[in-house]
Amino acid sequence: MNLKPLALGDLKGIVACLALALAPHLESLPAWVIAAVAVSAALRLELARRGRAAPPRAVRLIVAALAVSLLFLQLRTFNGLSAGTALLALMAGLKLLETDTRRDIYIVTLIIYFVCVSALLQSDSFWLLAYLIGVCWLTSATLLRLTTSLPAPGWPGSLRYAGKLLGQALPLALVFWLFFPRFAGPLWQLPNGGQSAGTGLSDTMSPGDITELAQSDEVAFRVHFAGPVPPSRELYWRGPVMHEFDGHTWKLAYPLSYGAPTLLPQGAAYTYTLSLEPHEHRWVFALDWPSRWDLPRGRLTSDYTLVQPDPVSQPIDVVATSHTRVQSAGTLSAVSRRRDIRLPPDRNPRTLQLARTLRAANPDDSAYVQAVLELFAQQSFYYTLTPPKLSDDSVDEFLFDTKRGFCGHYASAFAALMRAAGIPAHVVTGYYGGTFNRFADYWIVRQSEAHAWDEIWLEGRGWLRIDPTSVIAPERVEHSAGDAAGADDPVAGRWQGHARWLADARLRLDALRQLWRERILLFNQDSQQRLLESFHIPQPDGQKLVLVLTGALVLVLGWLTWTVRRETDPARRDRLSRAYSRLCAKLAAAGIARRAHEGAEDYAARVARVRPDLGSRAAALCRQYSDLRYGAGSSPAAVARFGAEVRAFRPPLKPPGSRASSEI
Amino acid sequence: MRQAAIDKLRAWAARRHGRDALPITISRRRIYILPTRVGLMLALMLVAMLIAALNYNSNLGLAFAFLMTSVALVTMHHCNRNLLGLRVDAAAETDAFAGGEARFEFALRNDSKVDRRDVEVRCMASGAICSVAARSNEAVSVAVPVARRGVVRVSQFELRTRYPFGWFHAWTYVQGSLTAYVAPAALGVRTLPAAAGTGLDSRSELRGDEDFSGLRNYEPGVPLKHMAWKVLARGGEAAVRSYTGLAAQPEWLEWSSLEGRDTEARLSQLCRWVLEGEAARRAYGLRIPGKEIAPSRGPEHRARCLRALAVFGISPAP
Repeated sequence: MNLKPLALGDLKGIVACLALALAPHLESLPAWVIAAVAVSAALRLELARRGRAAPPRAVRLIVAALAVSLLFLQLRTFNGLSAGTALLALMAGLKLLETDTRRDIYIVTLIIYFVCVSALLQSDSFWLLAYLIGVCWLTSATLLRLTTSLPAPGWPGSLRYAGKLLGQALPLALVFWLFFPRFAGPLWQLPNGGQSAGTGLSDTMSPGDITELAQSDEVAFRVHFAGPVPPSRELYWRGPVMHEFDGHTWKLAYPLSYGAPTLLPQGAAYTYTLSLEPHEHRWVFALDWPSRWDLPRGRLTSDYTLVQPDPVSQPIDVVATSHTRVQSAGTLSAVSRRRDIRLPPDRNPRTLQLARTLRAANPDDSAYVQAVLELFAQQSFYYTLTPPKLSDDSVDEFLFDTKRGFCGHYASAFAALMRAAGIPAHVVTGYYGGTFNRFADYWIVRQSEAHAWDEIWLEGRGWLRIDPTSVIAPERVEHSAGDAAGADDPVAGRWQGHARWLADARLRLDALRQLWRERILLFNQDSQQRLLESFHIPQPDGQKLVLVLTGALVLVLGWLTWTVRRETDPARRDRLSRAYSRLCAKLAAAGIARRAHEGAEDYAARVARVRPDLGSRAAALCRQYSDLRYGAGSSPAAVARFGAEVRAFRPPLKPPGSRASSEI
Repeated sequence: MRQAAIDKLRAWAARRHGRDALPITISRRRIYILPTRVGLMLALMLVAMLIAALNYNSNLGLAFAFLMTSVALVTMHHCNRNLLGLRVDAAAETDAFAGGEARFEFALRNDSKVDRRDVEVRCMASGAICSVAARSNEAVSVAVPVARRGVVRVSQFELRTRYPFGWFHAWTYVQGSLTAYVAPAALGVRTLPAAAGTGLDSRSELRGDEDFSGLRNYEPGVPLKHMAWKVLARGGEAAVRSYTGLAAQPEWLEWSSLEGRDTEARLSQLCRWVLEGEAARRAYGLRIPGKEIAPSRGPEHRARCLRALAVFGISPAP
């Protein structure tokens, strides 16, 4: 093993690679770990600049022990992604301190490669993958320069060679990726954490919550309808249902209860694939109301929300069927009724008073609901993205003082008024509407489409969906929150109207993103089965997959062996040499063989002397060869032309008029 | 343990391939390849990457892990290729003295269009590294330390490489026989005996260096500085400039003149004289028991004398 000390340039290269590989981790790493790595790299570079060796072993050991124990004290574990990455980063930094010889560099490069992978484990970004492959390329080029014991080749040469290695590895990697058997679940349970809660709806709803979401462009999910598409006014995407109300905030009722009462479908069934982005909650959005779904452990709660046992921390695809119009069958259980008419008695007194007044005038439930909706429609309630903050008695303040609010305010106030009159009601959160992507036939539902509406139980009619927001601002229900707000805000409105090409570009980009997600991110066992089926392999299973993998590997490795060996073949020459040999062979057949030491010009002169009949043509060809070989004006086209001319050149075997010619 | 395994492998390779006639082209049948220690660490890391990516169900992590695995496999092919098709010739240089080093010269020819980097030639636990650019030759000499005079026979040498990345170690054994003669260390207290008859009258005309007298045909072994390069450059035959010089009477270096000392001391003394005689451009002959070399001078003559001293009492010169 070569133990030459490291040059400063080499050290700089490896430090740069480490920094690039750690860059995607900057947010998740503890600040002091980043600082420690930076300090040790700077220290090592400074020592190398002064021509000094690495610090003594004892110092390094103490620093390493201190750093690792500090890390453990902070994180309490080395298991898990962020802790593991932090440990790796520390190791790489400390290893830099002791890179006295090139051997130590190997450890650092291995760590760099691993850090790259750990950045990818919880990412779904094409750009991150591309970036890290770039880092890998650069690291490999650096490693190439470092491992040679002779003067290193230049950077362009190293990059070219490393790029060639990566390029030849690509087909092999593709085969591995396509056919390596995937498992259904994780091999072992991962410690949860590190991953912060995603954006999106949560299990509580205060009146202002959805306002924040309305400004987020993030995609919540995408939906592709396999058959007919429901009218857009029926696109209510159901999320968590809130039952508990403390006068200000609505909360999910835990523990969740299951076993939803049957719903009788009233209209068409819609089947769709919903591509859900991770949101770190257990619920899975579905079109109201879902009847079938292919989520292996998915269940419907008693309030018709689709949930799974684990939080959605990875993108998933759900194929589901829903009916947008249903009829409740049976009666409301006593438990559910009690849960849905409970109100804090000491909160929102003015609302309770209002409910009593209205109820006295409208003893019939339907008439009461109508009266409340008319109240919202006729009084000066405003719909705004920037509602004033509300205190504890939020419904009172909203109904009587501010009168400005977003869907959450209206849903909350409406449900409170219903409960105050003894009508069971709850708040449903979810999304409403979506943007149709006409370039790829799917709907995009963004966080800005987050919505809240109510469901009330009327005797004899069952659960009814009431969207009080639609009474106040009809355009809010026809379009997304952004559009409705845009009506208030002329600048935003004009922007959206005039920049149609921009919107189109965004849709096209989103279509690409969806393709990436579908083909790459969600590639799994099923996709592999479909892939095998497309090769006409009947009943694909794991065993057949391994066979296909082996076969494909043999093919690609055979190709690789052939490609790599071919380069060592001494007989391989360029087109120009081949064409010239052909010319020489033709002239030799005509009786004038080129001598081994003879250059093209001398040969041409001799041909002209011996065979004046061929002379001018042969001499021209020889001269052309010499120009192409040694002159400046060589191009593939010119070489091809020369080859064609040589092919066309047919010297007569015997010179005309003489019986034989003697070679000089 | 490790050394024993290597020795076994070398013997096996020697049996498998038989003696090689130099020059030899390295074929793929004779290239062996194994991961280095770093290569094994890489393999471990790749397994860890794979498990992590499978566990996180991360297709992008898997893609990267598979890319690295494939790079390692491609690297293996390239490491193998780094030796494949190299043409190797070898020769032993005679000028070795006990306590110094014997130099073995290797000529590597690369007819392909790819560079071969970091190829190490190893011979008797010594090695030298070189790179051979595409379509070119490279000469590399391996210096093997020699303690005692005699014959150093190399029956097998090795070409090895770890390029690129040092993850794999490819090597090949060549069963070429190389013989180096190690002359005794040039020691001894006595300087070269004075010529029997010195003085102007006893000078005889030999081919010397002093005055240019014309051209003569090239013969191997002539000092390069005497080559008539201009003649050659004009397209003529290789020629050597000839000089008329005045040289001293031939000198006999006698074993018998060193009575009373042990064999090695006598040989060392004779060796010193040979070198001094050559340095002084005097003709000298060597007379040792069982061998007599007529007086002459020049590199070839010197080599014959040194070889005679090297093998004295050991084995007949082949």
